Amino acid sequence: MRLTLTAYLLLFTIGCLGQVNATSVDFDSQSITIAFSEEPPQLNSMKATDSVSIDVLSHTMEGLARYDRRGQMVPGVADRWEIDDRTATFWLNKNAKWSDGVPVTAKDFVFAWRTALDPATASEYAFILYALKNAEVINKGELPPTALAVRALDDHTLEIELERPTAYFINLTAFASYFPIREEFYKKKGERYAADASDLIYNGAFMMTEWVHGASLKLVKNPHYWNKDSISLNAINVDYITADSRSQLNLFIDGKIVHTQLDGDTYKDALSQKFRIRRFTTGVIYFQEYNHRPGRITANKNVRKAIQHVFDPHEMVNRVLATPGNLPGESLFPVWLNGVKGKFRQEYPAPRAKIDVSLARKYLENAKTELGIKEIPPLVLLVGESPTATKNAEYMQGLLKSKLGLDIKIDKQTFKQRLAKMSSGDFDMVGAGWGPDYDDVMTFGDLYASWNLNNRGRYINPEYDRLVRVAMNSSVPQVRMDAMGEMQQILFDDAVLLPTSEQGIIYLIHPKLKGVTRRVIGADPDYTYARVVK
Amino acid sequence: MSVLDFSPARRTAQIEQLTRPSLSYWQDAWIRLRKNVRAIISLYIIILLGIFTALGPVLWQVDPALQDLNQVSQPPSLPKTAILVGQYEPWKGIVIEDFPPEAIEYLEMVDAPMGLRTSDHPTTQRVRLIWNPVHGASGYNIYRNQRYPEDFNDLGLPLGGTFAGNEVSYEDRLSLESRSYYYSVVPTDGFDEYESFSVVEIIPRTSITLDEARSRGLLPEGKTIGEEVSLKFHPFGTDYLGRDIMARLMEGARVSLFIGIFAPLFYVLFGVIYGGFAGYFGGQIDALLMRFADFVVALPFLLFMILFKIAFGIGPGESGIVPMLIALVLLSWPSTARLVRGQVLKIREQGYIDAARLLGGRHHYLVLRHIIPNTIGVILVTLTFAVPFAIFTEAFLSFIGMGVAPPHPSWGSMCNEGVKTMLSHPHELIFPAVFISITVLAFNLLGDGLTEALDSRMRARE
Repeated sequence: MRLTLTAYLLLFTIGCLGQVNATSVDFDSQSITIAFSEEPPQLNSMKATDSVSIDVLSHTMEGLARYDRRGQMVPGVADRWEIDDRTATFWLNKNAKWSDGVPVTAKDFVFAWRTALDPATASEYAFILYALKNAEVINKGELPPTALAVRALDDHTLEIELERPTAYFINLTAFASYFPIREEFYKKKGERYAADASDLIYNGAFMMTEWVHGASLKLVKNPHYWNKDSISLNAINVDYITADSRSQLNLFIDGKIVHTQLDGDTYKDALSQKFRIRRFTTGVIYFQEYNHRPGRITANKNVRKAIQHVFDPHEMVNRVLATPGNLPGESLFPVWLNGVKGKFRQEYPAPRAKIDVSLARKYLENAKTELGIKEIPPLVLLVGESPTATKNAEYMQGLLKSKLGLDIKIDKQTFKQRLAKMSSGDFDMVGAGWGPDYDDVMTFGDLYASWNLNNRGRYINPEYDRLVRVAMNSSVPQVRMDAMGEMQQILFDDAVLLPTSEQGIIYLIHPKLKGVTRRVIGADPDYTYARVVK
Repeated sequence: MSVLDFSPARRTAQIEQLTRPSLSYWQDAWIRLRKNVRAIISLYIIILLGIFTALGPVLWQVDPALQDLNQVSQPPSLPKTAILVGQYEPWKGIVIEDFPPEAIEYLEMVDAPMGLRTSDHPTTQRVRLIWNPVHGASGYNIYRNQRYPEDFNDLGLPLGGTFAGNEVSYEDRLSLESRSYYYSVVPTDGFDEYESFSVVEIIPRTSITLDEARSRGLLPEGKTIGEEVSLKFHPFGTDYLGRDIMARLMEGARVSLFIGIFAPLFYVLFGVIYGGFAGYFGGQIDALLMRFADFVVALPFLLFMILFKIAFGIGPGESGIVPMLIALVLLSWPSTARLVRGQVLKIREQGYIDAARLLGGRHHYLVLRHIIPNTIGVILVTLTFAVPFAIFTEAFLSFIGMGVAPPHPSWGSMCNEGVKTMLSHPHELIFPAVFISITVLAFNLLGDGLTEALDSRMRARE
């Protein structure tokens, strides 16, 4: 008995010591500990599509340019650049080096882009490289990758021909798919490339030194990074991998991690613990897509108009989501997008549907006459599995039943299954979200172009397509934004989709950690320029 | 006292009788059961549940799917009143034209905003805050707390912000309730916050719009904006979409009790026939039948549940109750069959069975007169224990989303939803959980009582 007690005491003491040592921030070593929601699934920058992988890549790799704290483009690997309607030239920083000390050259970009576009690579994000001349035909396999109109004039000069005027090309270069890859390293690793910490080579502010699969990762400051003097953190330890918001909050309370996101359930605990809660609008827009395929009930415009006139995004955000930070969805184009001079939505205010049940019922009657049916059959609403998605779907179900007498069947599916059903058109309505890939209205605008594979409802409108082309082929801001403004009007008049909310999140961050940037595009949260204060 | 005081006793025909009224098996069991207080209470609870399920919706005519977003996640309470307000009109807010939107110079410190107040009467529809502009500010952040903020880290929820020094108003519509709120306004330099803030306490009044009140039938003749109306009464509170929990419990009971009663009835019946057959005939037939029962035991329930759902063409968003019933019946009978078979095997060898057979009793006479009455105790007990099992299974399957389809509730699915807000709104979990527990407990105790009442050995002990 005494022995057991002693053993317990010993264990207890060790436990306490462990707790004292494990802190989420350390001023002396300038290191922090964070948690990931999952292990990065794909660290090959040509193939990464998910946010965790892109987060790791954005800390460890660098493109030609990068976003600064206020969302402006600043030099990355490239010192300076010149971009006009047809060509772009980048002069690379001679100090930019890989983590083994070898300089980053223009050839590394040429190789990365050619490989990403090679159909054999099967990169899901290849389309983002379509701004480069011949990229699309190469990706379709009609031309060899060497036909890509990107040339390394010398080791430090990169000349690019553009397929069409791309006003936002400089923003694209910060995206993971545009990161450089060193050919000899890539070929040496072959299939193993990016499979482990030692199977990658880094040119960003940090490099990954440890990757215990399923358990932890460690990023340390890259000694060869050209701008290493402005990087304060020496190490970012990813010691925990959990998607459970409550475990993350407990880790934060115990001082084990520096950042955690809160949800409707956990924020009340955070409030009672007196943590400073922060708010951030992620830039993601949530909306309900309709299936426009012929034969579907939702292909009828009057049905969609009827729903538009009973759904109040304000009620949705304030009473149903009921967590701060979310904004009511009023347009496919979120409020943070830039327009000609100021914000797009201030220059082109989103048209608003009046909440009017009798008008909505009239639309529905018209729809029934047009469709030649007495009753609208039950509509299938495809949603994800998360509690929020379910709650929203149930709200929508109750709303449409009580206001319009429409029956809705909720089809809950896993993410993969939902995507498969969306692609095959097996739905009437689907709850979807879209996050921006680059800082331009077009990242949302071309979503409903008839050729876009992400137009899952197969909405086809030649006028809309024409406007997308106008905006794509021009580099004059006024012309582009006018076209987008018209697109916004078409989306509203045709009730092509039903915007519901703009995602906002609330989170906690360690008070001693300063300079963490939340951003709409790219790594979020971005710890690159963070520092631990005393 | 003399001899005369005595007279001979009258001689009666019967001196003493050691008899009691002849009782049938059922009468006897009933008397025994009645002495068991727990079992009788359980029986009453089950009867009450039956009334709650059958008559409840007639008496409490509230649509269990009707959402009331004015009363979301309300705990049980007395009826509430609300003030009538007009349709929500967007508010432009206040921008002071002759004040610079962006600070001309960067300052280390700025003052806290003065004159923080509401622009009109705060209601649960909206709270409109205004304050005086602060020199040096390029924006403001607005926080809301439910207690007085003690320091800078205790400001509460970050509601939102303005992005110019001369935008000095904010409208809050985020799930307002009639309670104390402490709003804080913090000036910013357009990016970071200054360490100064001012606080105001605001208690919004419960409100409902005229149209909303009319559509919900809450509007008595002649009432207009500014007057009070009483809101719908929710004795058990409301859930996360403002649906009446009592009405949902009544509707949910139908599913839970339907599964809880019919599934055991069917599978116990099948198990009795199957087990009785095997036990009575014995030998090769018995061996064969029981090996098949063993095979059924080995089948995974959840997998079959999913397969049935697909096989029945139960599409997304449709109720999975029928496949659940079938899966339960098809896979749960072996335990009853085994029990009954064992019992029948034992009884078959008894002397009175042999005697009856020798006297010329046929199979059906033996089975109906002797064997079944002697196994009825086992059968009834299995049945009462099977009920809670089925209710739990339904609750579990609805919990993992394989049972009822929204908006229809079952107790299990209500628990599933309640568990998500367990800490903030415990009543959403407690009510359905208590109903499941009470029902299961009542059936278990009744089962216990029946075992004692029907068991012949117990009778012999008295």
